Amino acid sequence: MVGFLPLQDVVLPDRIAELTGLGQFGVLGDFIAAFLAAFIIANLMLAMSGVAGPWAKRKITAAFTDRIAVNRIGPFGLLIIPASSVQLLAKELIIPEGVDRPAYDLAPLVIASSAMLGFAVIPMGNGIHLADPETGLVLVFAIASIASLGLATAGYASNNKYSMLGGLRAVAQNIAYEIPLIVTAASVVIFAGTLQMSEIVAAQAQPLVTVAGISIPSWYAFVNPFAFVLFMAANMAEVGRNPFDVPEAPTEIVAGYQTEYSSVYFVLIYLGEFLHIFLGAAIVTTIFLGGPAGPVLPGIVWFIIKIWAIFLFTQWARSALPRVRIDQLIEIGWKGMLVLSFANLVLTAIIVGVFIA
Amino acid sequence: MIGLMKSMATTMKHALDGNTFTVEYPETAPEVSPRFRGVHKFSQERCIWCRQCENVCPNDTIQIVMDEQRNGEQYNLHIGQCIYCRLCEEVCPVDAILLTQNFEFTGDTKDDLVYNKEQLMNVPWYKDIDPLESREPDRGGWIGEGEGEVDYQ
Amino acid sequence: MSLERPRPDQSYVTDDGVDYDAIEELLGEHVLGRETHINAEGFVIRPDEVQEVLFALRDQAGFDHLSVVTAQEYGDRYESIYHLKKYDDPTQELSVVVPTSKDNPVSQTAEPVYRTADWHEREAYDLVGIEYEGHPDPRRILLPETWQGHPLSLDYDQDRPQIVTLTEHANPIADDHYESESDTMFLNIGPHHPATHGVLHLKAVLDGEQVVDVDPDIGYLHRCEEQMAQQGTYRHQIMPYPDRWDYAPGGLMNEWGYARAAEDLADIEVPEYAQVIRTLGAELCRICSHMLALGTFCLDIYGDFTAIFMYAMRDREKVQSLLEDLTGSRMMFNYLRLGGVAWDLPEPREEFFEKTRDFLDDLPEATQEYHDLITSNEIFQIRTIDTGVLEPEVAKQYGATGPVARASGIDYDLRRDDPYGYYPELDWDVATDDGCDNYARLLVRMQEVEQSAKIIEQCIDVLESWPEEDREIQSNVPRTLRPEADTEIYRAVEAAKGELGIYIRADGTDKPARFKIRSPCFSNLHTLPEMSEGEYIADLIASLGSLDIILGEVDR
Repeated sequence: MVGFLPLQDVVLPDRIAELTGLGQFGVLGDFIAAFLAAFIIANLMLAMSGVAGPWAKRKITAAFTDRIAVNRIGPFGLLIIPASSVQLLAKELIIPEGVDRPAYDLAPLVIASSAMLGFAVIPMGNGIHLADPETGLVLVFAIASIASLGLATAGYASNNKYSMLGGLRAVAQNIAYEIPLIVTAASVVIFAGTLQMSEIVAAQAQPLVTVAGISIPSWYAFVNPFAFVLFMAANMAEVGRNPFDVPEAPTEIVAGYQTEYSSVYFVLIYLGEFLHIFLGAAIVTTIFLGGPAGPVLPGIVWFIIKIWAIFLFTQWARSALPRVRIDQLIEIGWKGMLVLSFANLVLTAIIVGVFIA
Repeated sequence: MIGLMKSMATTMKHALDGNTFTVEYPETAPEVSPRFRGVHKFSQERCIWCRQCENVCPNDTIQIVMDEQRNGEQYNLHIGQCIYCRLCEEVCPVDAILLTQNFEFTGDTKDDLVYNKEQLMNVPWYKDIDPLESREPDRGGWIGEGEGEVDYQ
Repeated sequence: MSLERPRPDQSYVTDDGVDYDAIEELLGEHVLGRETHINAEGFVIRPDEVQEVLFALRDQAGFDHLSVVTAQEYGDRYESIYHLKKYDDPTQELSVVVPTSKDNPVSQTAEPVYRTADWHEREAYDLVGIEYEGHPDPRRILLPETWQGHPLSLDYDQDRPQIVTLTEHANPIADDHYESESDTMFLNIGPHHPATHGVLHLKAVLDGEQVVDVDPDIGYLHRCEEQMAQQGTYRHQIMPYPDRWDYAPGGLMNEWGYARAAEDLADIEVPEYAQVIRTLGAELCRICSHMLALGTFCLDIYGDFTAIFMYAMRDREKVQSLLEDLTGSRMMFNYLRLGGVAWDLPEPREEFFEKTRDFLDDLPEATQEYHDLITSNEIFQIRTIDTGVLEPEVAKQYGATGPVARASGIDYDLRRDDPYGYYPELDWDVATDDGCDNYARLLVRMQEVEQSAKIIEQCIDVLESWPEEDREIQSNVPRTLRPEADTEIYRAVEAAKGELGIYIRADGTDKPARFKIRSPCFSNLHTLPEMSEGEYIADLIASLGSLDIILGEVDR
């Protein structure tokens, strides 16, 4: 009989290995356990994207625009999810002439899977945490950036000028905003003193101030609101939502890099986009909103609430903010965000170095 | 920044007030005004075969066939072609044509929307409309007792 | 009062309008003869002296607005008519008639004088077959390049099959840029594209993200509206069609355009009561049209279906319901008749007045909401201010009218300057803005909505107090109208998009011999290359949205 280890300290594969007894089969057992764990998390995220894409997004947009939306099939129109899935997958896969074949096929996979991989190092509470490497934060940014490769490939391989423009825009945008994104995250690292995701979450658990018996935790969003706002903005650009949805810009370049994709490939790209929004939200949650921390409800529930709140925010911004022009976007990135994020970093370093240490 | 927040506050206000301005068609069909010009209805009893409607129709939606004695034989309507200008109703001296308030009709092909007067009687969307219910003819040129028992096809 | 303004002091003008004799003197021996059209005198000139005459008229007599070029074929000759006006006073009109021979229909181009003649002459060549010597771009404009024959010419065989092959679009400036450092890319924007507001095709050449050259390719929605009007009777059959030119819906204003021309041609009086109803309906249409313009313009800037578009649609729906009560249809009204309107106000009248007032009462709140959402939004401002700049002089050269011209600071509104209907009796202002950019065009439209609301309110008051026994909605018009042969008229009204003019030539039958539509969108769209060359694609799209073109009216 194996005793239960404390929840937070063990990553999910180990727990599964322990519970199922796979641990005794050595490397193979570990592999199977890891596979099972990944399977669970992947399905959770896919399910969330599945709810978000065909249903939640439509409902939210409708609320903002004073309309009635998907309410015909099933309770609250929820059965639109299987209906839409079947509809999308049943469409003919049209592959235009002259596309760069392996690249054209690989791009959607890269876009979807890069977002998926990122969740591996996100602590979701209740021990749902696939891996907890010491360099977790760097890893998650590195993985999320692979998506740019997918976007560029999709744009290039589609043999379409609109796709090409979209791909180039996506790359320009990702490069311009990834630096402020990471530099801002670095300011958190200075506070936490670690790159390990679980440690960053743990560092936010202490109370910051206690007002009238309610203790406010030292989430970095409260500790450093400036960095939080900066990070949220850079994150919007990173996942390509309004006001930074320049790579897709439907009214300018049709659909950008995804113009020529249909059927399954389109689903993959679409799914990848939602996964990216959720991954961005998960990173924000982890490094600024205390990860899965929260009263009463279990951690995983809090985690999901938080990332949905951020998803909701992106949709809210979409309803009200115009898209910036590509040159303005780049200007904001290089001249505004970059400077601000370095200022933030230096300031944080000074504050942490001088006052706290 | 203030402008951005104002914009976002405006949309959020709309999201939270719960009002919608779209309706769930067909459960809630929109009400059309009394003057609405929908599918047109024809009364063979009233028609005096003066062919004015056929003449005035700007795009040959109405076709009338007559025999040698100038008696009307056929009244054909290419409803898919109709532009609902109401000129036929306006020129008809005996109110044999009325535009109803019905706007719901479909056909799979253009040919489905071509009708002669026998077919007109059997088209479901067309059969059950009583044009007098929807519209008070705005001219007094009635012939006979037009109290609802008139046979509009 | 707001409707008056000082007349510019010019020679060639008497108290009654243009001093045609002085102009004949000015043109001297260029004048071969004079024709009297109902709206203005026409000067007949030689086809190889067009530019000389027009330069004199523009620079010395002050005719700075070429409304439209009408081309037509007679039994013995071709004829191009240049309808000239002044931006300062559009009641001062003048026609320059250029006959050309049957066997050699070549006339000098007016393009160096008026830039707008470029497209109008292309259309004349395309549909009628007159060639313009020295024209910089003598291509067809509405029909495909491979089309055979000229459909509005007398000997056109419409049963002849047309083979229209698609040629690959080449980069028109590839050769120029071949040696230079920058590479250009040719991009077809449209005819199927999310932001072209219909089936417009922009042949764009890009240098990176910047637009080097853009050439609007129109005609995808060409429905032979002019010819259809020529085959319809004046009295009934033409009226349903103006609704379908600008279906945004500018319907009543378009119908008024036709009604004004035909009523003046056939000398029909319109009862004042009907004029008030017309004014009311036209302004309702204007609100509708500007709401759609606002919604779609924001759609182009914001991305996919966003809140503003739906809110604008919601407000537009309210107006459409009012129009439905009034006319019986939501878009294709067919409400105006020659000599009046088809119906009196709907009964019970109080209900209609109340509904309209409710809408007007809610309007300021809605407008404030748009200001909160759009105009005060900083990102929107950086996107629209100083983009798509159209200088007033350029706008005049291109014959731009309507909100596009007024946003460039050109104070030109036919409702005030060439009064018709009940407008002169009402108190309202012409909205102008000196911004010349996309932002200014939006602001002008929003102000115009407010002014329209003001007009509607006054119309409602007038209608409410109108004596019951005096509600004459139509004057007595003969069932068949046969205007005298060889009478010609060009009349314009201020539609939502600008000056909508109709030229009609009667030949003594009950159908017009030539029916020419001066579409405001057509001239406004011509300014697009001027506005967007050198700017980014995103601004090209925004400028296109700010022009508020309706392809049904551009292509006719």
